Amino acid sequence: MLLEFNDISYKYPGSIKAVFKNLTCRISTPGFHALFGPSGVGKTTLAKIMIGGVQGFSGEIATTGIHHILYTYNLERLPGWSSAREHLQTTTPDSGKGKIDQLVAAFGLEPCMNSRFAQLSLGQQNRTNLARYLLQDFDLLIMDESLANVDEVTKEKIILTMKTIFPNRCFLYISHSIVEVAKFCRQILVLRGQHKSPQTVTLRGQDYMDGKALVKKDLEQTMLEIVNAA
Amino acid sequence: MLHRRIYQFFIIYFLGIATLFIIKYGLNLSDYVIPGPSEIWQTGQDVFTRYFFNVVDTLSVAILGHLLSICLATLVGIVGRLTLWIGSFIRVAAYNIQAYPIVAVAPIIFILLGDGLSSRLLITAMICYFPLLLSFIGILSEPVTEIEHFYESTMRMNWRLQVKIRAFENINKIVTVIVGSGTLAMVGTIVSEFIAANAGIGHSIRMALYQSDLAKILVALFLIGICTSLYLVSLEGLGQVVQKRLQGNTSS
Repeated sequence: MLLEFNDISYKYPGSIKAVFKNLTCRISTPGFHALFGPSGVGKTTLAKIMIGGVQGFSGEIATTGIHHILYTYNLERLPGWSSAREHLQTTTPDSGKGKIDQLVAAFGLEPCMNSRFAQLSLGQQNRTNLARYLLQDFDLLIMDESLANVDEVTKEKIILTMKTIFPNRCFLYISHSIVEVAKFCRQILVLRGQHKSPQTVTLRGQDYMDGKALVKKDLEQTMLEIVNAA
Repeated sequence: MLHRRIYQFFIIYFLGIATLFIIKYGLNLSDYVIPGPSEIWQTGQDVFTRYFFNVVDTLSVAILGHLLSICLATLVGIVGRLTLWIGSFIRVAAYNIQAYPIVAVAPIIFILLGDGLSSRLLITAMICYFPLLLSFIGILSEPVTEIEHFYESTMRMNWRLQVKIRAFENINKIVTVIVGSGTLAMVGTIVSEFIAANAGIGHSIRMALYQSDLAKILVALFLIGICTSLYLVSLEGLGQVVQKRLQGNTSS
């Protein structure tokens, strides 16, 4: 599994300033990876380039073993005409049906499954939205602030569950939390301003998962590296 | 809701009557120009039943025309939301045609179709159709990205789902527009009857105008106001029921 960006350059329509200039980076293994960077640096734009939602860029995106990319963001909503449970049941393909209960339990969604989306808290809404994407067929899931408004304990449980259930899938987690990306991610693509060269720095995260010990000193070191890189 | 609307109508109606009387007595006009209270009362007693059934006739045509225009606006709105040339053509055509006064076209309809039900129905539908169409096209053309993104990403989006999402998300606007166009439906029917039809309260108003009988016109206006208020209240009630059903407060 490979995702590679080669010399990506892009300007917003009508803008004279480039967002990306010869951006090059790669993700070479499945797992939980991060796209990190300050606000406005172009994380969401890069994600949209990956799914074909932004045109007019130069350079090449090479994928090997990645056929189906999904992108989810934290402002998405479920339609209001059915409950969360009905929605999950009707939108989950047969291949994912067996995982519904497991994900619902791990995501702490059982109490709100019979409620409609508008009746859920922001955290519950984001968890429900993420759960429905995880139940789809995908090779790469880009999660743009998908766990915003979720408490730390639940967030950890969700990420660890994702790693356990989907060990061979690729995730690209867009977040502003240094601790999260340092702790849970395998590769951390730090996206920097256009004035910095190179525009991305790839760091190795702690890739914490169930059954693996987390060394506090190493985590702090990774966090420091991220701060320096950004 | 009903009593408030009726109450508001009474205030406006009797303010209008009072203004007429102020003009009548202020300028010392004869009963031939503006009839006195007793003459209006007497005329009311004489024509009430006949006018009541005329208004009911008009209202039934208005409701039919309104339903027709809602169906038509929905259909054209669904096509008009398309990004293809046909959608663009329909949107531009709708904006241009709605600027043309239907009343100016009405004589052509009467010449071609005669003064029966079909002409009244068609003019009614046309008068309330364009405001509905413009709103429906606007609503159905506007993507609800936060919801549609998932269906598009997972290749599940089809035109029915797209229309369902956009209509559901804008149900309040749709209900408001339908209720608002209810008045236009009534106006359209009366206008068509006034121009050339052979039935309905618009026809009765035309007859009263030929007789210069303002008392009859005032009675007709009273009944029109009451019946229109009842129709609008019914539409609002129906809209609230639909909204509650769709957006339900409890789990389904």
